[in-house]
Amino acid sequence: MPETYNPRVIEHLVRPRNVGELPEPSGRGESGDSACGDVVCFTVGIRSNVVEEVRYQAYGCAACVAAGSALAGMVEGRHLLEAARVSKAKLEEALGGALPVGKEHALTLVLDALHKAFEDHLNRGTGEMLVEGYGGSGREGGGGVVAAMSGGVDSAVTALLLKEAGYEVAAVTFRLHDGERGSRSCCSPDTVLFARDTAHRMGLPHFTLNLKELFHRRVMQDFVGSYEEGRTPNPCVACNAHVKFHAAAVLADELGFRHVATGHYARVAEGPTLARPVDERKDQTYVLWPVPKELLARTLFPLGEYRKTEVRAIAQERGLAVAYTPESQDICFIPDGDYRRFVRKRVVAEPGDVVDREGAVLGRHAGVVDFTVGQRRGIGLSAPTPLYVTEVRPGTGQVVVGKKKDLEVREVRVGGMNWFLAPEEASSVQVRYNGSPVPCTVEEDEGGGWVARLEEPVVGVAPGQSAVFYAGDGERVVGGGVVRHRFAQGNAPGG
Amino acid sequence: MAHPVYLDNAATTPLDPRVLEAMLPHLGGRRGNPSSLHALGASAREAVEEARGSVAALVGASAEEIVFTSGGTEADDLGVLGLARSAPAEKRHVVVSRVEHAAVREAARRLEAEGFEVTPIEVDEDGLVDPADLADALRPETALAAVVWANNEVGTIEPVRELARICAERDVPFHTDAVQAAGRVPLDVGEVPASTLALSAHKLYGPQGVGALYVRKGVPVEPISYGGGQEGGLRSGTHNVAGIVGFGVAARLAREELDERVAHESGLRDAILAGVARIPDVRLNGHPERRLSNNVHLTVEGVEAESLVLFLDALGYAIGSGSACSSGEHKASPVLLAMGRDEREAFSVVRVTVGKENTAAEVEDFLEAFSEAVARLRELSPLYN
Repeated sequence: MPETYNPRVIEHLVRPRNVGELPEPSGRGESGDSACGDVVCFTVGIRSNVVEEVRYQAYGCAACVAAGSALAGMVEGRHLLEAARVSKAKLEEALGGALPVGKEHALTLVLDALHKAFEDHLNRGTGEMLVEGYGGSGREGGGGVVAAMSGGVDSAVTALLLKEAGYEVAAVTFRLHDGERGSRSCCSPDTVLFARDTAHRMGLPHFTLNLKELFHRRVMQDFVGSYEEGRTPNPCVACNAHVKFHAAAVLADELGFRHVATGHYARVAEGPTLARPVDERKDQTYVLWPVPKELLARTLFPLGEYRKTEVRAIAQERGLAVAYTPESQDICFIPDGDYRRFVRKRVVAEPGDVVDREGAVLGRHAGVVDFTVGQRRGIGLSAPTPLYVTEVRPGTGQVVVGKKKDLEVREVRVGGMNWFLAPEEASSVQVRYNGSPVPCTVEEDEGGGWVARLEEPVVGVAPGQSAVFYAGDGERVVGGGVVRHRFAQGNAPGG
Repeated sequence: MAHPVYLDNAATTPLDPRVLEAMLPHLGGRRGNPSSLHALGASAREAVEEARGSVAALVGASAEEIVFTSGGTEADDLGVLGLARSAPAEKRHVVVSRVEHAAVREAARRLEAEGFEVTPIEVDEDGLVDPADLADALRPETALAAVVWANNEVGTIEPVRELARICAERDVPFHTDAVQAAGRVPLDVGEVPASTLALSAHKLYGPQGVGALYVRKGVPVEPISYGGGQEGGLRSGTHNVAGIVGFGVAARLAREELDERVAHESGLRDAILAGVARIPDVRLNGHPERRLSNNVHLTVEGVEAESLVLFLDALGYAIGSGSACSSGEHKASPVLLAMGRDEREAFSVVRVTVGKENTAAEVEDFLEAFSEAVARLRELSPLYN
């Protein structure tokens, strides 16, 4: 790398193009912070997916000023898909070659500002849909695919496989919450920058959408509320039900694309319905049950045909930096994994009684939000046989504990159904992410719900979790719903 | 640009042709090592000793109190580390101002790593040290105090006479970095009882790569390099004869021409100050009166320093930037932060330093270019309306 700027940079510095601010932009984006010494701001006028006008402003080193000027020139008059494809490498080329050591961040910064302007444009145009959820326009678009890209290996390989299969692919990364690793005041979080870089290295356009409000309402608040109500939440299910697929479909419609794709391990079978993937250990059909049928009809899951080891091998072979990213764990908006603390910061926890199933008080607890059904740790009582939480009663502030046997159920009541196939086809039900399906029969219950009668008792069925029904072949999902409350064997209904 | 107008004299000065002329015989032809016994050695030795006398005269010292070094940084390091390490074992405390050059700042950090306690002396908004603060900071176990004679960034001249006297009264060795002050301020170690004082040749129209440390007679200084024992054992290594000769001539000229240079420089400096005063939201940093004759240090609101420096460079004017941007992150100058400025401001500062070669016409042209560059970059800036 050189130590000094080449003449093209200085030329842009002294005679920058597209300087200023559009009076009525369709999108505006800013990146950087005066406290870091660099701020770049882009305004864009996009009509019919063409970037008709671009203006930029920059406070920063010569590299920032020049990169902004060069980038503005590269995207003006171009189709949005082309503009969103401009990579750091292309931009550097336009600046006459490698920037001096330590100045590469200017490329990241100006691209981030431009992409934030694109995001603002897309969010403005689709704002209501992104807040309220979206079923898709039903338009039969072209053959393109919007591939959700998180910055991890699975979603990167998804986009790559689609591209290699001949699809026109646009990658999208969703801003879901503020707890992203690598979050700073100035640039986008590292995850967004990394995903953008990955997409650009594959030659794909990259977009971002801001879904924080939607995600907060439909996923995070639901997560906290579940604990308050004594339910066990599953935020991934909530996200698939209301956020991820809907937002991808919004962008697909905007771009005139037919398909959406994610890096889930699942398959789409005729119906359409979900079917188990080749890699049964990575099976994610359990968390995908709430995806609306009309969205599933346009969804592609390329990884359903691969094993995880193959996916990593593909990433390594194609030289994707994401090949070595660690497996994502737990809940994305609680990176430290301490979800008790996360919940407690957001609710007032009232102390209450720990009781046995007869109602005798055995001790005290610091708040029902600390407990979920099936929990063994943190009860704070010593007993000759291990104690489990068998029920949480937010109304009375009671936490009911009992033996493991008390957790066994033979019936599961389920509501909020999403049926892909006829309910009669259901022959087994899975009630935990890492559980196995249990043979069952299902029939309609009073009050619009359904009841699954299990052939063998299972433990650890917690209200709020998903119950997913599988067909007789054990492969296809018939439908799914949320566990309402349980009938423990020989017990009166709880709560 | 074939001949850019050079206004970065605090970074380095052009080599005076009279200095170059004196150096040339020692660069070409036959040369001796001053440590050799033969005639060539003796002639080199004589040249070095003549230079030593001139450098000593610049600061009012005697020749044997001058130790030649590789430059200002080595002189500062030798002064700070050498004084501290030669102090009695129980003296493990040093006092250093917040507005030191990196050479002193980093040497103090090194001492901290060796177990010394470092007490910083704060400065006011103009970068000035209050002698009372120094007096308060001194302790019986203080091994040394260091305050720069004139700051290299903002150009503020410190009250070194008073500071050195406070230290002398309390028997605490005092080091001062006079690299920027030399050639612009009269230096007299008789008036200012410093124990050690650092100088650099290339800031006063001498060659790069040579400097000197004044060490008051009788003050113990531990060397920081080891070898043949040159320079009284304080700076081993074969002498940079040509450089030292050049330094000697430069020092002599600096002393002889001091008044005329200061008058010339301060005239140009004041013309720049008057010119930039007409541009809105440009402020002078450093003390308005107690400042170096050549230094104009400015905050230019809404404009980032590097882009301004390079913009002016493209127009044919070389000035200095007040902040350093490295490894993707700007680093705010500790000197400005010590003066109470926030990090944001520290990215918008530039330093314009005139020299004896600059002319009034150059300054006039510069002012025009400067005001154009500022206007253009402000047009571009999202932080300036």
